[in-house]
Amino acid sequence: MDARTRILSRIGHALKERPKALLPEHPHAPPSANPLDLFLKRLAENGAEGHLLGEERARKLLGELSQGLPGAAYGRGVPASFRLLPELPPEEAPLGVSWALFAVAETGTVALSSEDGRRAQLLPPVHLVLVEEGRVYPSLLEALLDLKALPSALGLHSGPSKSADIGQVMVKGVHGPGRLVVAVLQGSW
Amino acid sequence: MQAKAKLYPKEAAKLLREKPGVREAVTGATLHFEEGRKKAYGEIDAEAFRERAKRVKDHLLTHLDHYLELAEKRLRENGVQVHWAEDPLDAHRILREVVARHGVKRAVKAKSMLTEELGVNPLLQSLGVEVLETDLGEYLIQLLGEPPSHIVGPAIHLALSDIQRLFHQRFGTPLNASPEALAAVARKVLRDAFLTAELGISGANFLVAETGTLVLMENEGNIRLSTSLPKVHVAFVGIEKLLPRLADLALFLPLTARAATGQRLSTYVSLIQGPAKEGEEGPEEVHVVLVDHGRTTLLHDPEAWEVLRCLRCGACLNACPVYRQTGGHPYGYVYSGPIGAVLDPGLLGLEEAYPLPYASTLCGACYEACPVKIPIPKLLLTWRKRAVERGLAPIWERGAIQALAKVMESPTLYRLFSKALRGLPLPQHLLPLLRAWTEGRGPLKPSPRPFHELWKELEAEDGR
Repeated sequence: MDARTRILSRIGHALKERPKALLPEHPHAPPSANPLDLFLKRLAENGAEGHLLGEERARKLLGELSQGLPGAAYGRGVPASFRLLPELPPEEAPLGVSWALFAVAETGTVALSSEDGRRAQLLPPVHLVLVEEGRVYPSLLEALLDLKALPSALGLHSGPSKSADIGQVMVKGVHGPGRLVVAVLQGSW
Repeated sequence: MQAKAKLYPKEAAKLLREKPGVREAVTGATLHFEEGRKKAYGEIDAEAFRERAKRVKDHLLTHLDHYLELAEKRLRENGVQVHWAEDPLDAHRILREVVARHGVKRAVKAKSMLTEELGVNPLLQSLGVEVLETDLGEYLIQLLGEPPSHIVGPAIHLALSDIQRLFHQRFGTPLNASPEALAAVARKVLRDAFLTAELGISGANFLVAETGTLVLMENEGNIRLSTSLPKVHVAFVGIEKLLPRLADLALFLPLTARAATGQRLSTYVSLIQGPAKEGEEGPEEVHVVLVDHGRTTLLHDPEAWEVLRCLRCGACLNACPVYRQTGGHPYGYVYSGPIGAVLDPGLLGLEEAYPLPYASTLCGACYEACPVKIPIPKLLLTWRKRAVERGLAPIWERGAIQALAKVMESPTLYRLFSKALRGLPLPQHLLPLLRAWTEGRGPLKPSPRPFHELWKELEAEDGR
């Protein structure tokens, strides 16, 4: 008998007399008004920066973030119109720009797919995430119930990298980006 | 990990005597965590969340064989290599094969209590692999050669000055370097490790059976990096870590974050489906090792099986007035505090861990904090009862308790004995019960007059 068989048979034996517990249904998501306000509020509370912008102003924000930088690392899904700086490898880039799969208002979260990349989301000290207005879900439950296929890896980012492991003092940018900027793009893309 | 839980009373007294700074550091950190948790619970209908989470986990555990088989099937469909390990030896064999096949020289590790159980670091070192803990707190204690003292904050027993001294010796930073400067030094060392390691090792907070999704929570980004940059990722997953459905995460992720750190959600959550697809960044190989190591024995236990709901959030540690005095080290095993006191006897056997269920005042704060409503105070009593039944409690203690019961039941005997104790010089060095108390403390000084006399006096005054 291999380890698998032995473990499963011990479990079967352990559960023989145990009454089975029922699986509760998921709760109903509370009806929510426009999730965008909540999303921006939560981002700010998480220590991130959030903006609701049209394309023109979004490009302006990117221009401001790019000031004086030699280049940026881009996620695959970032449209050409947002690639203002020359592309650099993520290990060297001072700025990473990603295109989010979706966002969640209640937790102030952007969801980043491995199809967009991984290094640009993690290695540069500043991370700009672009997300379409129509992809902001009010709650995590709605987002997960709506998720049809999962990529190899999905990263839920809800703020800058942080740690209080040194003397209980909060330090930002420990391993991941110390600054997270989210641009919610108005209109359809 | 070699368990030293039997030595708890001695080790706790020794720590309080020799490292008084630990109590201050741990109390400060845990009270901060506890305050955050209370605030975060206050924002939601915590009772409803906890009850729902308990029910989901109970369902999972009472159908564990079904969900393990489902998870294995889904993981394989996703291109993940699935292994089963009954004990550390199985886990070591699996890891040795991966290391040999890929010529691993360097490994980066995301914080995982299960890998502490399994002794993953010593194994890798014995294979000549350089292994770096990448969670900042874990990295600190790895430099010091210490085990974690808290499930979530492994280095909370260290004061800033301890870390300043450590980095001064190791990296030549000034003795008054700021936490930011210290973190920047660690970031640089570990960034290099992320970029060069061939192997990333992690645990898992959850494994979703329906989709075969590994789920990991963190705040630093080191887990995302450890599971994204090296070409091989091995995740060790306790068999009780499963969840039935993907959407169950909408309950468990925020609830765990609120309980652990008072956050609405951890800064980073990784949902890992499998190796990178053609042309994608990410590991070429993902391995999941499903680990038993005592969990099926616990599942069989008609009472203690409920501890398998544990999410490893550390909330009960933060709430515990006993844990707060010493931090986790004296408990002598991976899991300390209230959850350790009910989990370790199940995982290690009561013979190895019988003092731990006594490390509690039974105040119940751990139960109030627990996000999955594990009846910790009830289980502490269960283990104590078993310790007495199996003769693990010292014989003099049983005699003493029986004598105490007799004396307490009779007012006459009670008064006689209390008078005798006050009148006689106490042979403190002779009685083992007293010696256990006086070790590391001042001698017992009985009040010159008993409470019932003082009380009578007060009553008489009130009557006037």
